[in-house]
Amino acid sequence: MSKRISVLLAVLVVFAGLAGAQAKAKTISFLSIWPEANDNSKLILDLTKEYQATHPNFKLDFELVDTNSLQQKVKVLLASDDLPDVFAYESGTPILELIEAGKIVDIEKAFKDLGISEYLDAGAVSLLKRLASNKGLYDLPLGMNIEGLWYNKADFTKAGIKAPPATWDELMTDCEKLKKVGIQPFTAGGKDKWPLSRVLNMYVMRKLGVDAMEKGVAGKISFSDPAFIESAKVVQDMAKKGYFGTGITTVDYATAADTLFSGKAAMLYNGSWFAENLNDSKRNVAGPEGIGFFNIPLVKGGAGKMDDYSMNCGTILCLSKAKYDAATADWVKYVFTRMGDKAMKDYGAVKGYKVTNAKTDLPGYTKLIQAELKKAKTAGLWFEANFDSKTSQVAQDNIQALFLGMITPEQYWKDIDSANKEYQASK
Amino acid sequence: MESLLRDKKAILVFVLPAALIYLFSVFVPIIWSTYYSLFSGLPGINFKFFGLRNYAKMWGDRIFLGAFSMNLEYVAIVVLGQVGLGLLCALLFMFGIRKYKTFVRTIVFFPVVLPVVAVGQLFTKIFEITPNNGLFNSLLVLLGLGDLVQPWLGQPRSAFLVLCSMDIWTAMGFYAIIFYAALMDIPTEMIEAARIDGANGLRLLRNILLPSLRPITLTCLVFSFTGTLKVFESSLALTRGGPGTATKTLSMYMYDSAFLHSQYGYGSSIAVFILIECIVVTAVINGVFGRRKY
Repeated sequence: MSKRISVLLAVLVVFAGLAGAQAKAKTISFLSIWPEANDNSKLILDLTKEYQATHPNFKLDFELVDTNSLQQKVKVLLASDDLPDVFAYESGTPILELIEAGKIVDIEKAFKDLGISEYLDAGAVSLLKRLASNKGLYDLPLGMNIEGLWYNKADFTKAGIKAPPATWDELMTDCEKLKKVGIQPFTAGGKDKWPLSRVLNMYVMRKLGVDAMEKGVAGKISFSDPAFIESAKVVQDMAKKGYFGTGITTVDYATAADTLFSGKAAMLYNGSWFAENLNDSKRNVAGPEGIGFFNIPLVKGGAGKMDDYSMNCGTILCLSKAKYDAATADWVKYVFTRMGDKAMKDYGAVKGYKVTNAKTDLPGYTKLIQAELKKAKTAGLWFEANFDSKTSQVAQDNIQALFLGMITPEQYWKDIDSANKEYQASK
Repeated sequence: MESLLRDKKAILVFVLPAALIYLFSVFVPIIWSTYYSLFSGLPGINFKFFGLRNYAKMWGDRIFLGAFSMNLEYVAIVVLGQVGLGLLCALLFMFGIRKYKTFVRTIVFFPVVLPVVAVGQLFTKIFEITPNNGLFNSLLVLLGLGDLVQPWLGQPRSAFLVLCSMDIWTAMGFYAIIFYAALMDIPTEMIEAARIDGANGLRLLRNILLPSLRPITLTCLVFSFTGTLKVFESSLALTRGGPGTATKTLSMYMYDSAFLHSQYGYGSSIAVFILIECIVVTAVINGVFGRRKY
């Protein structure tokens, strides 16, 4: 018996020795939603490769997760207290949970400690802080996006529309004009749900102002307010009139884009990240000048203004507090002081970091976006930004039902209201 | 052999590993889930004792009730389709076709081995309407039934029926093969004797084949029931539970509750509910089919 124990001990000693030898090397895990060859992941991986040239013992484990499964994945890891060192996540209410549980690094403090605070773009920081209910800065931006309506110029000409609509009434008239010449006015990636709730959000934002949903969630405006009901009714009517064609809830995001490019549909609500597809000459058959952009038209008597834009910081990055140490900090310093310039140089993209080498020969649609970004004075957030994940899912599942006339506008807001109240009560 | 099976040590060696694995991979999680269902919130963050309130909450939850009734209807249609058509196919293999038997069997069995996600994509394309008509809508146009063209997956009722037919199509071959094997086990003398006695067609089926197939039918029904009660991936692949929540199944809602809404307790209580459903259904099937001797 004692012989067996001694063998066991010997094995243990060997393992312990191996573990000890590896202790000096640092491996951090990176949970991403972008494939290795795509912009955000590629930027981070490329910069890490540069970093490894001087730090050969540093390793980065890359793990990819589907966008739709990101929240589930992080929550499972959170429950087992094993958050990755660096991980993509969603700003808004999802990140609040992590902040309140004290599981992620205070980025503002970390950057200050590293002496690199000036590398963060002030606009991005204020947007991110607002998204986290002003609890502080706990995430790194990976983009500065504005959203609005993209339209096929040839379609507008064909329907005799001279300029993009400035008011909601004009927008509705234009829809009729387009329908008359046999062009479907709108398309949307209704299968993915969020593109439809964005359509509703257009009206909400213009009718009640940019902070309507924040106020609604906080209980300052009731979700049964006639203005909220009206917004759902307007959108449902648009669908009823056939402005979105048939089977809108079966159209996926990519198909919607192609429908706009080919001119089968005239308008699509989307964000500035869409520029990547627009600049792709193989995909965008409308050509480098064929698609235009306009901000959401104003609703008569509404609180929204023309320099209010729907904006967001895209999916963000968080650092696990439990795993953050000097080695990680050193890597963070290297990567994120170079992020702004590299993103501008490689992609012509603004990621929310200081850029010292502004590029001049940007592709057409990227230029268009940057010009539009400058006009923005106030940011409105996307529809679900202030919702917890359950309310968010209720809003997204039901938006399909609303478009199809399966539920009434009143029921739509009632379900959101009760899911939100349940969450607020559980806090 | 007999002395080997009487040896308690031998029994232990044979049974224990499997029993242990089963215990840890099935029973422990069930008990764990049941325990979790008494709590609210997320483990490690805001886990609080909640008593039986999760179970009470279910009955006032519109999504849960919708998923529950949709699930029941789905089970009724799909079980009937899978087992019924499976049996018909098996009879066809046995008595109907003379040539290309193996080929036809392979074709019918083929969907069973396809990944669900691929099948979902396939059906999405078949029933597509935007940007182009899929196979089904094109066929309608070709037959001069253009008026019937519609977004099959974009309407709650038709999406549900497409989902049912997809799951019947996928699993039918599996049951057909099981029934076919059972049919081959029936002694040919018995069938021939019945034929000589004048039993043909339906009579043969009702008095000879079906009674001999009873144990297999029982197994197939239990398989099909438990499989369809916990349906998850086919609905996810085809419609993502949509439009709205029209094809959201109980297990999808369980998953969403636990892993998306951070309500582990509520998710667990739905899981326990599904478990109870499975036990009850299995008991009922056993009661109906198992007791009658033949």
